[in-house]
Amino acid sequence: MTSATFHGPSNSTTSNGIVAQLAGTLIPLKTTLETSKDVKLLNVFITAVPLKKASGTLSLIRQLIPRDGGYDLQHLRRFAKPDLIPSAIRNSYFASSAESSDTELIFLIVAVASIIPKDILLDSLQKDRVEGPVVLVEGQIPFNAPTSAEQAKAWTNEYWPTVYKKSNPFGPHPAIVARAQAEIEGNAGKWLSLAWTVAAEAKTARTGEGVGVVIVERSEQGERCLAVAGDARWDNWPRDCGGNGNVTAHAAMRAIAMVTAKLPNAIPVTETDIFRSQPLFSLETDVEEPVNKDGYLCHELEIYCTHEPCVMCAMAIVHSRFGKIVFEKRMDEGGITADLNDKNDGLGHGLWWRRELNWTMLGWEFRRKGDGNDGNECRLPWDVDNGLNA
Amino acid sequence: MSEDEKQTHLTYMREALAMAELALQTSETPVGCIIQHPTHGTIGRGMNATNRTRNGTMHAEFIAINQILAPPSQYTPDILKECTLYVTVEPCIMCASLLRQFGIKKVFFGASNEKFGGTGGVLDVHLGNGRGIGGKEGDYEVSGGWLREEAIVMLRRFYVQENERAPEPRKKAERVLKLEVEPLGELSGNGVD
Repeated sequence: MTSATFHGPSNSTTSNGIVAQLAGTLIPLKTTLETSKDVKLLNVFITAVPLKKASGTLSLIRQLIPRDGGYDLQHLRRFAKPDLIPSAIRNSYFASSAESSDTELIFLIVAVASIIPKDILLDSLQKDRVEGPVVLVEGQIPFNAPTSAEQAKAWTNEYWPTVYKKSNPFGPHPAIVARAQAEIEGNAGKWLSLAWTVAAEAKTARTGEGVGVVIVERSEQGERCLAVAGDARWDNWPRDCGGNGNVTAHAAMRAIAMVTAKLPNAIPVTETDIFRSQPLFSLETDVEEPVNKDGYLCHELEIYCTHEPCVMCAMAIVHSRFGKIVFEKRMDEGGITADLNDKNDGLGHGLWWRRELNWTMLGWEFRRKGDGNDGNECRLPWDVDNGLNA
Repeated sequence: MSEDEKQTHLTYMREALAMAELALQTSETPVGCIIQHPTHGTIGRGMNATNRTRNGTMHAEFIAINQILAPPSQYTPDILKECTLYVTVEPCIMCASLLRQFGIKKVFFGASNEKFGGTGGVLDVHLGNGRGIGGKEGDYEVSGGWLREEAIVMLRRFYVQENERAPEPRKKAERVLKLEVEPLGELSGNGVD
């Protein structure tokens, strides 16, 4: 994954001391499958042949086992020079082979071990052999294609020469991520700054925690802000019963309610409700009017969040079919990220992109310029605790 | 669990199913729930309202909690800590988290939800917010499989109707309502004990 740095103007500041456009870097999120430490391995038979016999041997294998028995080995080199394969495989081969050392050899993956008995394979290869017995050694190869050049390099050293082809079986295609990132990085810092401003407003007005969200619609005409919402969990809500406040009034839930309320034929739940979908702060009224007439939920909109949304809000964002999510501060109870935070206290649910769910989006973490690596400094006096459900 | 207790839970689950039936009649996904308090009885009812509101987060659980707490209300939010939810389909991940943050005591559900379920289907939000370890503040008890077949048939009746509000209505004329429900496999668990 690539990440580009952009530097917005940082000379204009709002009354809250928040710069109008934050400078920082967008870091594409990882999926649960990408962060899984388990590499699925396949057992294979490996042999070596004189260089000039290489293509003949491969033809023989293809006759014997058409299409490699259905296994996709495109991410692996079929042939590899002895010095390019892990020494364990090389040593294991030469320990049983009577090959004279002056023959130039090339190693190759013969077959996935589970699809053909070793003795049958040996017999068939032996018929094609001019001198000496065929030696088959067993090795392991990664079943799936690598998701990064670094992973390909690590697998090459550990298992077998592996090629990174800029594909991703475990998440969105890197080309799609790169294109989307180029679209959003010009103004991501601006929308996040707006989110932080409404967060400050929510906190200072004591209506909620210092959490803010902005929803943006992107079209050929450019970007339009459809909703700005601060957290309102304490708005008209008792603080003395020891709870978490009005859970339905988290910033993301409010922003979604604000956008969908403007859709044609939307009917409110009840006359009075707890959902806080009406604007509470001046910034929340300063948004663009109606959404695309054929709008459906929050289909393909972008959501910019000061904090990683909690599990409820993360799933609400999935249900609402957003196209992209950007957030700045990682949270211990956040539902978006798949990899654990630096304190290893994240949930790892990775709800932005999960195979089981019927909707996936693109996602980035915004790392502010000048921050340490963790991006989690409490840089504002009213910022919230990391354990909060944001 | 005694036979009496079992019948009590089934009675409440039928109330939840009645809400799902109401949803079906108004072209909403037929998921219904009730919230039961040990002394005040059924204090909230909800059914899916995502089509009516055009808001994909308006699931039955949100509607029921709103009914209890929307002003003017005789209850304070901490009443939910004493309540049990009966819902026809396993709460989704969003609702499982909502319930956790409001401190619900216990959840009974009908059909499992392998696509979105937050109490066993996909994640275990009721146990340590999905960390897989229980014993955390906010954890709640869950029991599934109650009137499961009825809940599933209700969903199937909905899916043979046309959802004309979806962006591109799909022809469902050829769809046939199937009334038999496969028995629960041993591996999927969640049966009524």
